[in-house]
Amino acid sequence: MDQTHNIPARRTELQMARSMCWHCQSEVTGEYFCERCVKVQPVSKELDYFTCLGLPRLLNIDTEELEARFYKLSRAFHPDFFQNKTEAEQSISLGNSALLNTAYRTLKDPIQRAEYLLGLEAGAAKDIRTTPPADLFEEILALQEDLEEFRALTPGRDPGEVDTLRARLKADYESLQQRQHEMEARLFELFEAWDTLQAREGQDAGVRAKKDTVLKEIRDILSNRTYLRNIVNDLVATLG
Amino acid sequence: MAYSEKVVDHFNNPRNMGSFKKDEEGVGTGIVGAPECGDVMKLQIKVQDDKIVDAKFKTFGCGSAIASSSLATEWMKGRTIEEAGKIKNTEIVQELNLPPVKIHCSVLAEDAIKAALNDYKKKHGKSE
Repeated sequence: MDQTHNIPARRTELQMARSMCWHCQSEVTGEYFCERCVKVQPVSKELDYFTCLGLPRLLNIDTEELEARFYKLSRAFHPDFFQNKTEAEQSISLGNSALLNTAYRTLKDPIQRAEYLLGLEAGAAKDIRTTPPADLFEEILALQEDLEEFRALTPGRDPGEVDTLRARLKADYESLQQRQHEMEARLFELFEAWDTLQAREGQDAGVRAKKDTVLKEIRDILSNRTYLRNIVNDLVATLG
Repeated sequence: MAYSEKVVDHFNNPRNMGSFKKDEEGVGTGIVGAPECGDVMKLQIKVQDDKIVDAKFKTFGCGSAIASSSLATEWMKGRTIEEAGKIKNTEIVQELNLPPVKIHCSVLAEDAIKAALNDYKKKHGKSE
């Protein structure tokens, strides 16, 4: 097979550390294929998913562009195209493909994307640990206790109580759903705020502090969202 | 992955499940949660003369979280405040044979112990 046929040796605009081609030792700066010997280069494990896909570290991303970049790189790295190559190249193609798939899956979903970004920024943004939402815990415990009580009731024996409790739980469920929507809306506002701050990076000294505030609120919402999701699922499972 | 026998035992026969009234004399309450999985754990102690005479828990979460908190209440009973504060999550991991993905459940139990002890100390004028 013509080795340049399926593997375009084009430069991808990536900021990778300068390194050497594992095969011909010539310098490679960010491209996934060596310009001289056209061998595939391993994607560094330290490379974050945004950089890996050549995207800026933003929370609102163009999913069409993400997909296009993913397909392009998928084709370049696909193990099928390396079947007749050396073992080293096969293993690089496999490793790159696996990393690429994870990167794509993570960035495609807005929640996973935000969680991933928090992980990346956690080093830079110290102290973005969440404050335990004490009120929410209390509320969840109270709701769980109501649910337990509801499950313990026998419909045949005390229909009045069953109906009263069911109506109350139903109302709770609706108000929780409403809150989930509000949380999501706020989350997307924060995505915007983050992206705006990213664009202002380096322009004023207060950007880092503002970014940390945004990240902290994102983290709080994401964890509160998980608590709410659990109780909502329990409500759905019990009420039917 | 299957749960260890001990986890299953605590799950099927939870020790000290229930709760005390929060404002009851000598009661300390700790409520904690794990943002990764959304589990919520409430652990309460009843203290007399610096000794934990009773402990109760309520956990809404996975089997490992329930077992960790059930075990924690067992271990706390009969200990002094100071001794109870020394319970480490690693001991819970060992006792229950928790797999790596469930270690955060034991951390949650340790956090709950600390929160309950702190709440008791705060209420009874003993700063940390």
